[in-house]
Order: sequence, then C-alpha cells, then structure tokens
Amino acid sequence: MQSYVHVILAGLSNGMFIWLVASGLTLIFGVLGVLNFAHGSFYMLGAYGSFTVLKYLGAGFWTGLLLGPLAVCAAGFVVERFFLRHVYRIALPYQLLLTFAFVLIFDNLVKIVWGGGALSPPSLSFLGGSIPILGRNFPVYNLFIIAVGPAVALLLWALLEKTWYGRIIRASSSDREMAASLGVRVPALFTGVFVFGTWLGALGGGLAVPYVGLLTPGMGEAIIIEAFIVAVIGGLGSLKGAFVGALVIGVMSAFGTRFFPSFDMFLTFILMGGVLLWRPQGLFGAAR
Amino acid sequence: MGEPLLTTEKLSNHFGMVCTARDLDLSFEQGVLTSIIGPNGAGKSTLINLLTGHLPVQAGKIRFQGREITRLPIHKRVRLGICRSFQVVNVFPELTVAQNVMIPVLARTGRAWNPIRSLSRETAVTRETEVFLEKVGLQGERDTPATALSHGDLRLLEVGVALAAAPTLLFLDEPTAGMNPVERVRLLDNIRELACEGRTTFVVVEHDMDVVFSLSGRIIVLHRGEVLCDGTPAQVRADAKVREVYLGDDVSDLFRYEEE
Amino acid sequence: MKAEARNAAAAVVLLALCAVPFLAGKFTVYLAMRIMLLGIFAVGYNLLLGQTGLLSFGHGAFYAAGAYGLGFFGLHVSGNPLFGVAAGVAAAILLAILVGYLCVRHTEIYFAMLTLAFGMMVFSLIWNAREITGGDDGLIGIMRSPVSFFGLLEIPIGTDRQFYFFILFFFALSVWAVHRIRQSPFGLALAGIRENARRSEFAGVPVRRYRLAVFVLSGAFAGLAGSLEALLESNARPFMAHWTHSAEPVLVSLLGGLSSLTGPLVGSAIFIAMREIIQRFTENWMLWFGIVLLVIILGFRGGVVGTLSAFFRKAAAPGEG
Repeated sequence: MQSYVHVILAGLSNGMFIWLVASGLTLIFGVLGVLNFAHGSFYMLGAYGSFTVLKYLGAGFWTGLLLGPLAVCAAGFVVERFFLRHVYRIALPYQLLLTFAFVLIFDNLVKIVWGGGALSPPSLSFLGGSIPILGRNFPVYNLFIIAVGPAVALLLWALLEKTWYGRIIRASSSDREMAASLGVRVPALFTGVFVFGTWLGALGGGLAVPYVGLLTPGMGEAIIIEAFIVAVIGGLGSLKGAFVGALVIGVMSAFGTRFFPSFDMFLTFILMGGVLLWRPQGLFGAAR
Repeated sequence: MGEPLLTTEKLSNHFGMVCTARDLDLSFEQGVLTSIIGPNGAGKSTLINLLTGHLPVQAGKIRFQGREITRLPIHKRVRLGICRSFQVVNVFPELTVAQNVMIPVLARTGRAWNPIRSLSRETAVTRETEVFLEKVGLQGERDTPATALSHGDLRLLEVGVALAAAPTLLFLDEPTAGMNPVERVRLLDNIRELACEGRTTFVVVEHDMDVVFSLSGRIIVLHRGEVLCDGTPAQVRADAKVREVYLGDDVSDLFRYEEE
Repeated sequence: MKAEARNAAAAVVLLALCAVPFLAGKFTVYLAMRIMLLGIFAVGYNLLLGQTGLLSFGHGAFYAAGAYGLGFFGLHVSGNPLFGVAAGVAAAILLAILVGYLCVRHTEIYFAMLTLAFGMMVFSLIWNAREITGGDDGLIGIMRSPVSFFGLLEIPIGTDRQFYFFILFFFALSVWAVHRIRQSPFGLALAGIRENARRSEFAGVPVRRYRLAVFVLSGAFAGLAGSLEALLESNARPFMAHWTHSAEPVLVSLLGGLSSLTGPLVGSAIFIAMREIIQRFTENWMLWFGIVLLVIILGFRGGVVGTLSAFFRKAAAPGEG
C-alpha cells in the first residue's frame, strides 16, 4: 500500500513536468495551429538558463526560475516573429521542418555554450530534503512540483476563460479572419501566445533543474515526445486533455518503471494505441 | 411509375437546436427526374449529404434497391450506384481534366489497385473516359489542369466526375450555380439527354425555378426539414402552402410559368 | 520530359553509377552507397508525402524494422543476404500494417504526430529491450555472407566494391518500381486522394484502404533501405528509429522537390554531400544544417528540382517573364 502511494506520488510529479511542456505545446497548437517541435528545446533552454543564473550568477533558486525562462522568451519571440510567422499559410511539412531546424540549432547552440557533457546543478537548501509519508521519505521538492502543476493549470484556465485577453485569444483561434476584421491585431496576438507558450515550456525546464539531477543537450527531446503523446491522448489542442493526459501518462510510466523497468515506455504506447482505437480524436478532442 | 430506387424511413438530422431533416419518408423512383427545392436552410443539402453518406445519419433508415445502406461508407454507396456532385466545385485541382474523370472510371472498374501497369496502356479506361468527356463537352480540354479551367467548365467537370462513376442514382447539388446562360443551357441539355438514356436517375437541387420546372417530372418542396409538398410540377405550382413559403421574390420566379 | 529522353538519361545515370567503384576512391564509393540508401528510403517515402499528401514522421521505425529484421534473421536463421533483406522488408511491412492501421484514419498534423509517436515507441522498445536488441549498443556482428542461389551460384559481397553493386541493384529496382507506381492507376488514385480525399470517396475510391496500402508500401522501401544499411555497417542501431532519422526523408524530399521522382534522389545526394562538407569544416554541423534548412524553407520551397525546372521553363518561354 505504502509503496503504491509513493509510486503514484512519483508519477504525479513526473506528470506535472510533462504537463508544463504539453500545456505550452497545446496552447500554441490550439491558437496558432502549429505543431512546434522546438518546444522541447525551450524546455531545455529554460533548464540551462536557470542553471546558469543559479550557478554562475550565484543567485537563488527563485531568481533563476524567474530570469531563466524570461530569457528563453526572447528566443521564442525571435522564432515566431522572424520565422514562423512566414509559414502559417504554407504546407504543413515546411512548418514542421522549420521548427525542426530550430531543434537542431538550439541543441547545437547549447553544446557550444555549455558543452556536450552533462552538468549537475547545485543542491537546493530549501525545498530540499524529504519528509516522511506513510513511513517512507518523499522529496519535498517533488511535492512542490505536484502543487505547481495545478497552479499553472488554474492560471491558464483563468487567463483563457475569465479575462478579456482570453476571450480574444479564443476568438482568434476559432476564426482568424473574423478576429482580424473586429480589429484584433492577430499577428501581435500570435506572437504573444507563442511567447507565453515558450515561457510555459521554459518554466518546466527551470523547475526541472533540481529535479532531473543532470542537464544534457538532448534533454528536450525525450520530454517533447512524451508531451506529444499526452497531446494525442488528451486530444490535440485541448488543455484539459493535456492535463489529464499528463497525469495518466506520468502515473502510468511510474508504475511501469517500478514493475516492468525495461518496458515502461511501452505501457504508455499501449495506452495511446488503446485510446486511439477507442476514441480517435483523443479523450477531450472535438470530433473531426 | 417504376420501382422505388431509394427510400428513406423517418430520416432525421439536427444541428444543435436546428432541425434540418424531420422524419422524412421519401422514395425516389427509377427514371423520374426529381427536383428538390425550398428556401435557404430548408434542408436540401442536408438531405443529399445524408443520402450519399457525407453526413452520418442520426436517426432513421435509408434503403437502396431494397438493401439497407444507412451506415454504409461513402465509397461503398458509390459502388452500389449512388453518387453526387457538389454545390461548390470540388474536383481534383492539380490533375488534368482527363485524370479527374479517369479516377472514378478506374475505381468503378476495379483497376485502381494496379500499381505496376502504366496508365497509358489502360486503353479501355481511356476510351471510357473519352465518352464521359464528350458527354459534358470537355474533350477539348482533356489535358488542361482543372485549376486552369473557366468557372463554367469547372462546373461541367464537376458533373463529369460524378457521371463517370456511372451511378444509378445521381444527386446534383445546384449544378448550374454561377454559370452563364449559354453554359447553363448546354449543361441542362446534357442532363436531359442523359436522363432520357435512362441509365441514370437524376435528383437535382436547384434554386433556378426555370430549370426546375422545365426539367423535372417530380418536385419535392422542403421547408425546415419537412416535406411541404411532393408531386408533379403542376401540383406543386397549385399548392397553397408552397405559395405561402415562397412569399417575396421567389414567388414571381416560381409562378412565372403560369403567367406565360 | 519525353519518354525516350528520360530513358536515355536514366541509362546514362545508371552507367555512371556502375563506373563509380572503378574510378573513385574508397570514401566516395562509401558516400555513393549512403546516397543510394537514403535515395531508396526517400523515393519510397515520397509515395506517401509527395504522391498521397500524407506527412509521416515515423518512417525511421520501418527502417529500423528492416535493419533489425535482417539482423535477427542473419544471426538466428540464415546468413543469405537475399533472404535477410526479404526478412527485413517483411518485418517492416508487418510493423507498417500495425502502425498504419491506427494512423490512416487521421490526416495532416494528426497523422504526423501519431506516426511520430509510434516511431518513438519503436525507438524506445529497441533501446530498452537490451537483452534482445543490444540496447544502445545496437545489434552488432551482422555479416555480409555471399549471395547464394540455393548453392548453385554464389556471389560474394564482402568487399565494399562488391557490395556497392548489391546496393545499386536494389536502388535501381526501387527507383524503377516507384516510377511505375507513379505512372500506374494506383498512383493516379493516390494523387486523387492528395488533391481531394473527400471527392475520391465519392469517386468510389476506398480512401483509407489506399492510404494504408501506400503507407505499407513506403514502409517496405524504408525496410529495404534499413536492411541494406545493416549489411553495409554490419550493425543495426536504435537511432535508425529515432524521429530525427524519420525526418531525413521528409527533408530530402523537400530539399529536392516533392512533385517529381528525381526530387528525393537529388535531395539525397545534396543532403549527404552537404553533411560531409559541413562536417569537414566544423563540428557544429547541426547548427549549420539548421540554418541551411531555414534558408531553403523561407526561400526555395519548390526544392532544387522544382526551382530548376521553373527556371528552365521561364528561360524557354521568355515572353511570359
């Protein structure tokens, strides 16, 4: 019993990282209609950025978490404003390859700037340590992550459902021309949404610094695949779906790692295949 | 009248609160050119979409030649002999006119699966394609890509692609929309001729009342998803309910024939 | 292009390819083999992307299935490379049927994402099933035994020059087959699906079944390329199934041009050559390659073949400017 609770907790904290990445991905897809391969790179850049602030500037964890992702937003701005904007109306393969080109560029830039090897971040003074849950220790930081995930979900929900900006965003995503004719500056809005999505991914990266233990130039690629799977299971473009999907995948792969260590990813894929057979549009996707 | 080709039984469809088909019990007889008319939003297109498989049936049944086809996928209905053309031109834009017409011919004759034989050696298919091109009068544009055609020719191609599936029952959704009068007459003559040949039974959705009354043996008037009137052109013209629905501009259209 | 001119051009290229191992150095021969492998992969893949309009990001999985299929067959059943290649292709076909069945009801971005996810599933399976696949070390020790026709005739393919002709044979066969498919009724039906899937259904074409068929077909070519690479490199690696490898045929097709048979082939040559050149000057080839990719996407979307043929069309008809 006690071990199950721990597996579930580990799964939840895993799932929250996937959610942070998947939320930005889903938001960008839902509004801009672009599947951004480079989103995993923003996660990676967020991690490296926060790490740099943390280690070389000697700042605290919170400062790192604030400044790192903010710096990545600049990269997101450049990608959208100067490149992605020109390919919204052209064929899908070009869009995807454009974002793929940025995966190559960012991965390589990270290798140039921080080196190709793994970096290990300094340990945390607070939020470090463990507390006993049902007689076994569980890292406090993981509990913190489990709290951050729903907080971000709540923030997104409030932003999209309760604010004027949210209404504009939803209007623009369902009908670009209509929004434009109503006086919405759609290009600027898209840039804004892309940068915000970038920030979500980079925030995930910043939070991952104390969690993953090692930073490597390929760290974005593993999580972007998981985020894709989550988006497929939850229904492309559905934030609710991404949240539920991330939790399910997180917990499922935690059980997988615990009980079938060499096939943990396989369980995830069986789940995906099953969901697709049962509901091709994903759990919360609109029927197409 | 002949055998019913296609019958519906309590066919219904809703879009949210809007009812576009309500308990429709219709039958289409072989050899009777039928027109479906009605004001905008009457459910004309919805009916075609339901019958041809474009929209999933929410309630009710469809039978074709005695066989239930309610849930049959589109391509199987086409194989059975139900085909359609579209209101908005809906062809294969980057392919040539001949290729456009050839696809349904290949599919029908079961030759489209052959991955090795060269198309140029499919002489029977080419010959049949020629026949359909002639029927719609596009043999001169054989090698023109569809995108380069004029609007009128595109409409002809639209009908040609539908005809090439050699349907027993063919639904034409506003076939003459946007055509100039010359093209329109040409297409209508073609349709009349083909209808006389008797291999294909036509069901036409039209706005143009000249077309409807000159062409049809039977007219179905739809209004808000229900059949308002169903009969010969004379019966429809005499119907009081139809007059009521067609108050306004359309009345003059609909009843001009009486005055002439 | 006229049929005679095309056949003549094909014959010249084939002769030139036959001459390569006798005229060029070892490294050039190796590069030519890599180009042909990528060419087989891409030309088959382009049946899916260029001809049918479906963007898959998971064909690396079928490439890997070919490589591992050949590897297991060679290690456990028979070393005959012809049978091995057949086993590799069969493995790729089986996997493509399974994945394709789940994916072909979707199109566009959904299709791309699903194929990507399934491709990565294969990758992680290979990566994790260490006892069977060798994990990240790959499956090593794949041998190039002589091609044997039931003991009657044996053709050695041990040296690179001999193996070059083995690959050339399959390369020519693949290009010929894809050419035939593009000209066939089946090819026209695929083009119809690309142009207008809904209308294809109303033309009586069972669209999903055609999509599955071409998916499996392109998977078979990927498997062929994969099994040949396993023979060339004497190993099969999990990276073959990785999504960055799945992106290669997409890239190569766009690089050369989607709408022709030659596009992906020219693209393969450019890709391999460019990679070699960039790698010679810098360690950061991914960076430079990414930049080249950006330039191509923003500037030359017809691909090399498309841009060139547009240029020649313009040159031939100067009045239209």
